Amino acid sequence: MFQRWFANALSGLLLVGLLVVSLPAASVTIKVAGSTTVLPILTEAAKQYRVIHPELNLTVSGGGSGMGVANIERGTIDIGMASRPLSEGEAGRIGDTTDVIPVARDAVAIAVSKAVYESGVTQLSLSQIAAIYRGEIRNWRELGGLDARILVIDKEASRGTRHVFADVVLGNPRARAAGATIVTGSNNEEQSVISRSDQAIGMLSNAWLNDRVRAIAVGEGDAAVLPTAENVAKGRYIIKRDLNILVRKHSRDEVKGFVDFLRSAQGQAIVQTVGFHSVR
Amino acid sequence: MMLRWWLSTSALLSSLTIVLVLGFLLQSSWPLIQQQGIAFIIGTEWYPFESLFGMLPALIGTIWAVALALLIALPCGVAAAILCSELLPKSLRGSVRFGMELMAGVPSVVYGLLGMWLLLPLLESQLNLLTGRTLLAAGLLLALMILPTIMVLSEDAIRAVRQSQREAAKNLGIGWDATLWRVLLPQAWPGIRVATLLATGRAMGETVAVMLVVGSIDRIPEPFYNFLQPAQTLTSRIGREMAEASVGSLHWAALLFCGLMLAVVAMGIALLSERRRTII
Repeated sequence: MFQRWFANALSGLLLVGLLVVSLPAASVTIKVAGSTTVLPILTEAAKQYRVIHPELNLTVSGGGSGMGVANIERGTIDIGMASRPLSEGEAGRIGDTTDVIPVARDAVAIAVSKAVYESGVTQLSLSQIAAIYRGEIRNWRELGGLDARILVIDKEASRGTRHVFADVVLGNPRARAAGATIVTGSNNEEQSVISRSDQAIGMLSNAWLNDRVRAIAVGEGDAAVLPTAENVAKGRYIIKRDLNILVRKHSRDEVKGFVDFLRSAQGQAIVQTVGFHSVR
Repeated sequence: MMLRWWLSTSALLSSLTIVLVLGFLLQSSWPLIQQQGIAFIIGTEWYPFESLFGMLPALIGTIWAVALALLIALPCGVAAAILCSELLPKSLRGSVRFGMELMAGVPSVVYGLLGMWLLLPLLESQLNLLTGRTLLAAGLLLALMILPTIMVLSEDAIRAVRQSQREAAKNLGIGWDATLWRVLLPQAWPGIRVATLLATGRAMGETVAVMLVVGSIDRIPEPFYNFLQPAQTLTSRIGREMAEASVGSLHWAALLFCGLMLAVVAMGIALLSERRRTII
């Protein structure tokens, strides 16, 4: 009795399985993942590219520059996003098989809460910012601002934004920040913490600034510059980086087509709409 | 005959899975043990890029978060169970129990979001903290998550005490207080103990909710019992760094070792609940 039921169930399962497998293949998928800084560009570009190529399926997700590099190495995605250059170790492992293509230029703003900005802290020198992140300066009062402890927001060490910040401000892309209070992940998370606090400082991509998250000018005295488009283009603002995409050298034609689209005039217009600077 | 074969295969496969999981964890973390011995377990610094994999900050964080959660949830859960099984009229009993079971079904990420939006600002304003992202916040959220488990299972345990026991106590003229403490709870204790151990296991393994509110900074609180400071737990560390650690690297091995520690402790707790029947 049980044998008959079992045989029937098995043949039923096999039939269903065959049907599922023989269904027409889904549309071609391009998988993109990595830096949350580059994410808005690729998300918008994917939307517009689908209009031109409706047969393609593009999935875009975040996770951080470190994740973008790791997944390109593993081969689980087609395009990786990184808001920093490859490290020596990474270049050694995947440099020969992967192209690093810049699609935009970005400035890493030093962002403070609105209350801090309005209390008078509108510019800081690199050494002052480094001192804050090393735990040497602990109160905004010491910098001419309000009397409140500094909420120092660090980022996960794998994030491209942190890599660039640490390289320019602390001298070493992997530098420790002993004065950090908390560690956040994506740009969105950091923006949300700074905007909800009255005493925070953090490192944020330029495209995430808003009324409650203000950028301060970086530099000594009169030479302090804000991360405006002009200052970045002319090289006056020094905490900047190329936003890159990582593509394996022998990718499918659909992937290459999308990469060309990103570097075309339409793609670069998207870059500027989102808030970054074009590479053209 | 077929049925017996099928049942024994399923049982074997299930028990094999746990052995496989442990084996995988051990094998993946072996490169780290090989290179650094086991001294890193009590190391205090976690800087993957400098090959420092100290487990102590996250261990202390996990222990504190779970201890706080149990300290809050255990009395509340058992009290709710006593209320539900002994004191409430029958009509309310069903609804309270139903409410608890609903709470148990809420996905943990929802608790994490609730924690971020409501709990953190509350802690910051009430306790005058620099940031609400602390071990206390993690402990409170975990308490909320394990409360239903403790309550429901404790209520079953108390309800399971034979009615004749209560009648005998009444006949002897023992007041309600003494009946509870001397007759009911000691007999329900094995069930309450199981509930506690299950709840501890869940609290130890909770990742997303803790990751969002604990601060994620790999530092031992100063002094070590200060739970009003941002810290790190084993699960939060795995959650934040897993996606970007390249498979096979030392970082990957270290993260899997965190997982191994969690698994071993959880299994130890389960073993404890089996063996020591009358001693605890």
